[in-house]
Amino acid sequence: MTNNAVDAGARRSAAAGDAADRRPFWGRLVNWAPYQALVALLFASPRRQFVLLAVLPVIWIVTQHLGPMLQMLQVSLLDAYPIAPGQENHYTLANYARFFSESVFMMPFLRTITYSAVLTVVTMLITYPVAYYLARHVKRDHQLALLLLLLIPFWTGEIVRTYAIMILLGNNGAINLALKTLGLIDRPIPFMYTGFSVSVGLIYLTALYMLLPLYSALEKLPRNLSEAGADLGAGAWTRFRRITLPLTLEGIGSGCTLVFLISTGYYGTPVLLGGPNTTVFAETIAGFFHVAGDQWPTGAAFAVIMFFAALVLTGVFARFISALRKGDSK
Amino acid sequence: MTRSGRVWLSVFFWAFVVYLFVPLLLMILMGFKDSKFIGFPIKSWTLDWYLGVFDDGTVLSSFVYSLIIAVCSTVVSVVMGTWLAVLLSGRKFAGRFAVYALTILPALVPGIISAIAFRVYARQLGIEPGGFAIMWSHAVHNVPFVALVVMARLSTLPRSLGEAARDLGADPFVTFTRVTLPYLMPAIIGASIFCLLLSFDDFVRSFFLGSYDPTLPVLIFAKLRSGMSPEINAISTVVLILTAVLGVWAERSSRRMNREH
Repeated sequence: MTNNAVDAGARRSAAAGDAADRRPFWGRLVNWAPYQALVALLFASPRRQFVLLAVLPVIWIVTQHLGPMLQMLQVSLLDAYPIAPGQENHYTLANYARFFSESVFMMPFLRTITYSAVLTVVTMLITYPVAYYLARHVKRDHQLALLLLLLIPFWTGEIVRTYAIMILLGNNGAINLALKTLGLIDRPIPFMYTGFSVSVGLIYLTALYMLLPLYSALEKLPRNLSEAGADLGAGAWTRFRRITLPLTLEGIGSGCTLVFLISTGYYGTPVLLGGPNTTVFAETIAGFFHVAGDQWPTGAAFAVIMFFAALVLTGVFARFISALRKGDSK
Repeated sequence: MTRSGRVWLSVFFWAFVVYLFVPLLLMILMGFKDSKFIGFPIKSWTLDWYLGVFDDGTVLSSFVYSLIIAVCSTVVSVVMGTWLAVLLSGRKFAGRFAVYALTILPALVPGIISAIAFRVYARQLGIEPGGFAIMWSHAVHNVPFVALVVMARLSTLPRSLGEAARDLGADPFVTFTRVTLPYLMPAIIGASIFCLLLSFDDFVRSFFLGSYDPTLPVLIFAKLRSGMSPEINAISTVVLILTAVLGVWAERSSRRMNREH
């Protein structure tokens, strides 16, 4: 904490004191007997104070953050849902078995995992130089302005940005027009409704989740390490490989984890940009909820399978990254 | 780094900026095209599609609907997110890591899975699909973002401020409302705008938890499924500009307040 900030804090609390004198509300409240009795009751001991602070948020996260996931898990194990009146719950693994027994589900599943993994790597390769330039070659004052510029497209929602990509890649879109004007093609290239258009759309949506962790990792990296490397005679590539890359592995790890997890969950974008041959698992899962109600357990089971697979893969990836970091520190 | 390396790096950076903005600029451009047919070339220009947005009652009503949902869910997220951040930044306690992990869980669940989980949970709790269900799912989803932003700000709070307040006789409640909360305000304002934008732009939860009234992204999605039209460009452009203005304003005002403290 700098002196400046402490001074500012002190000034602020002094100002707060003045305000209390001018506005007698707080003074009156604090001296009001019922309020004092209440405070004595609530904050009698540090322990009681802590319980008071903890009880509501803990109830919230257990019922609201964990609750929906557990409920989905429970429904995925039911043989029928909703349960008929007067009936007991019957638990079964049949919904999970369905995934492995019917091969039509495997393709969308594998496609989603492959798309997300490839996109994560591509996004990382694209955004690393961008983050590097921003963190290392731009003046401090300009960094924030440029970061703000980069944030603007990301504040826009999934559907609006997907639509923008549709206009870019359409048969009469900007890219086809440019290629035609340059005389490279006679008839438009059908970019839309392919794996390519889905990929471009998903990279466009997720790039920021990669860019920000990379930027903060690169920004924290002390510059003199690289200079020391140069003094010891290391070339630019060696310095990057031996110094910059190992020290930003953590940023790479968190960026990749975020992008991978998030990109498996898009539904609107693959529906709008994809075709019949690019069905992703999100569309498969959604299908069970659009038809009759008795398909809900299967849909829930498939959602659980996807979440579990995504978690296992990111776990493996995290182990890989930490093994790399250990290997480098030796 | 060599000079040419630096030049290539800056070229790459600006190419990335162009890649981010060109699709959006094209979309804005197409909204002024005097033909129902999306694509180049543009022969003449018109404002009709924008005027059409104001005539179309469904667009305005779903805009208002999205806005109400965003404001309500933001209030819940900010209260719970701040509360969790204060709990996690305070004294150490058994199970703190579990509380932290559960706090950030909704941010890590892929969109479709969280939408399905809420759909199932809502049915179990007897909550009908509709505005309340959407609001509720947005509120839960946005809590981790508030908690992370507020925790970052709390980590810079000088310990002496709270101690001074206690020495002057303030009870924990007064200390929180008169010292901690004002200090957290820049982070809370920033997080609120972020929540508003997240909720307003959310598609997947709004789609799975909504009934017949669509939120704006769901309406645009439905229109897109029946074909592209310049009317969608006009709606999207309005949304885009509002979002960008709000985002930039939030970012700047929270930075300014950060400097003042």
